Amino acid sequence: MYVEIKNLNFKYKASRETTVVDFSLDMEKGETVSIVGESGSGKSTVLRLIAGLEIPLSGVIKVNNKVMVDDSTFIAPEKRDIGMVFQDYALFPHMTVAQNITFGLKRLTNKEKKERLAEVLELVSLEKFKDRYPYELSGGQQQRVALARALAPKPSLLLLDEPFSNLDADLQKKIREQLKHILKCTGITSILVTHDKEDALSIADSVVVLKEGRIVRAGSPAQVLA
Amino acid sequence: MFKTSRLKATYLNTWALLSLIFVLLILAPNVNILINALKPGNENWYHIKEYLLKDYIINSLTLVAFTGLFTVLLGTTLAWLVSVFEFPFRKFFKWGLILPLAIPPYIAAYTYDGLLNYTGVIQTFLRNSLKISVNQKYFNIMSMEGAVFIFTAFLYPYVYIITKSFLEKQSASLIENSRMLGRSPLEIFFYVILPLSRTAILGGVSLVILEVLNDYGVVKYFGIVTFSTAIFKTWFALGDIDSAVKLAAILMFMVFAVLLMENLLRGRKKFSYTTSKVRPITPLKLQGMKAAGAFVYCFTVFSLSFLIPTLQLVYWAFLAYQKVLHVKFWVLIINSLSAALVSSVLVIAIAVVIANYCRLNDGLISKIYSKITTLGYSIPGSVIAMGVIVFFVGLDRRLVWLYHMISENSSKLVLSTSMAMLTFAYIIRFLAIGYNAIEAGFARIGRKFLEASRTLGMNVTQTFFKVELKMLQPAIISGLVLVFIDILKELPLTLILRPFNFDTLATKSFEYAGDEMIHEAAISSLIIIIISAVSVYFFYKIGDREES
Repeated sequence: MYVEIKNLNFKYKASRETTVVDFSLDMEKGETVSIVGESGSGKSTVLRLIAGLEIPLSGVIKVNNKVMVDDSTFIAPEKRDIGMVFQDYALFPHMTVAQNITFGLKRLTNKEKKERLAEVLELVSLEKFKDRYPYELSGGQQQRVALARALAPKPSLLLLDEPFSNLDADLQKKIREQLKHILKCTGITSILVTHDKEDALSIADSVVVLKEGRIVRAGSPAQVLA
Repeated sequence: MFKTSRLKATYLNTWALLSLIFVLLILAPNVNILINALKPGNENWYHIKEYLLKDYIINSLTLVAFTGLFTVLLGTTLAWLVSVFEFPFRKFFKWGLILPLAIPPYIAAYTYDGLLNYTGVIQTFLRNSLKISVNQKYFNIMSMEGAVFIFTAFLYPYVYIITKSFLEKQSASLIENSRMLGRSPLEIFFYVILPLSRTAILGGVSLVILEVLNDYGVVKYFGIVTFSTAIFKTWFALGDIDSAVKLAAILMFMVFAVLLMENLLRGRKKFSYTTSKVRPITPLKLQGMKAAGAFVYCFTVFSLSFLIPTLQLVYWAFLAYQKVLHVKFWVLIINSLSAALVSSVLVIAIAVVIANYCRLNDGLISKIYSKITTLGYSIPGSVIAMGVIVFFVGLDRRLVWLYHMISENSSKLVLSTSMAMLTFAYIIRFLAIGYNAIEAGFARIGRKFLEASRTLGMNVTQTFFKVELKMLQPAIISGLVLVFIDILKELPLTLILRPFNFDTLATKSFEYAGDEMIHEAAISSLIIIIISAVSVYFFYKIGDREES
């Protein structure tokens, strides 16, 4: 398996109840899995655990045979090679689109950076906007910059946290199609968290339904969400 | 199951270590005081305890009690007037009444004395033009009553500012509801506003009390014996550091009592309005006599606490500028500015390190760290001065071997006679101001940019320098300005801990005034006032606009 997650448990310091209980997930390379659940179901927490932004109480996460977390290891988020698109994008407001996208490319030479920037800008069709600042862009454009920024370092796994929640309804559908296309083009392995079943139906290869921190159903989108 | 704490520790090493060092350094001098206080007292101490201590306590408490009472009266009534009523010049008074904060009380003290004494403008005018000789008793401000007047007139803005912003934010619909229920404005003030703003008033008045206990300039100039003056006298005149430290410890306990009392009185009553929507109060328009009354009240306070002393200083400065403005004066300015600049940059740097560490670790340790970091501002300058001296003399004693290794004929006291000691004391005292600004800045940024940056391969430190430092800039600048100005005004610490022959604008004003050279003191005082006034204007006026 390309991604192996076993018996992940997590509790926020301030809360009494366990937020994530015995979460397990296996993924093939190139697969897109959607985690569906209502707000408070712990779905975003699962993403944060995989990204390394939270430390689990127990459990194992392996990506591409590399241990991210187990009883004796914890790899810091900056060393995991896992990309993430945040719900509110978290674009650096004082950097241009180009600076935002090349931010994660610190190991490349300037020439390589330029090439990679051109590639991902083309992928998200934002070539004309590379010198704009985030506040000069529409919500949909900002979202594509966030996606381009996460894809630029060619992460081994891409995490998307409610990528459509900040967009208005007609835009959502259009962007959903674009995202599906981009994910297929790059062949990247990805996990998409959403509360909207339609997102999952149209993009995901398989679906996991989370309720109160536990997996209640899992399988192909048609089976699970029908 | 594995232990998560161990894992977390590995990636915050540098920040954690630096924070720990800073916090220990801040703590050391204060702990020193408390430990030294437990040593048995010497003969001097017996004498002090038997004959003098009672006076120190009574004087300090009298000042605190009356200043507290009058600042509450003045501060709340003014806040109520400008936020609930419409009258001529209300908009101006709204921020104009904050301006007295720009005049340090010790400058106000000698200004008022110069204004009122036998050779002052008022008596000279009465004598020469109106042929009236007054009873000196009524014109002598150098008394307990005079000190209460000075503290009240120049510290009430603390109560005023906090109460005003509380009223503006919290009470629009409550006041309107009370009006519709048929209550008169005066009834509303007593039954709704006062009880409601209790926490705000308490917060303001405890700042006033801490300032009064911190004061050295006013009471020294007026010849009133309080803890601050007694600590310095015991040390300078009697040369008895141990007894001075004991006095400092008692003063420190008084401060803790004030803080504790504030906490207890506040209790559960942290009233805050239940809806998030803040609607400004529609002010009630006052007519005729009432409007005139409101204007006269505000204008009287504004004149006494800002206009009159400032005009007097301008007049004196005009008389003396040719005598004062020579090379030495520029040295003075450079001294003041460089001492304030170096210390405020250090304050902000330390504040950034501790604030960043605390925000990344929301545990008990972070809470303790931020408490310790902000404690210094409550501790009076005289106490910090004693703590820092004991600490540095101890350091020097331990480092003598090093000094001799570097230079054969080095003196025994190196650190304790250098700027390092004063800078260190400034940092302890003003770290809280820098820390609050930086903490608020970090809170505004949040953690999302850090998280985004980490998933893009940057660690905490890289993210700080590449992303957050830039976003933190407004907080850094405002913190820097606030600390800089506080240091510029600072008197007790500078007076005690400065190296030999090192003068600042503040110490020189105070020395001139003490040597009956009031005209000469005016220029340096005015510079302090102008710089402070600009910042007061900048912060409260601009801050106000941003909120609305």
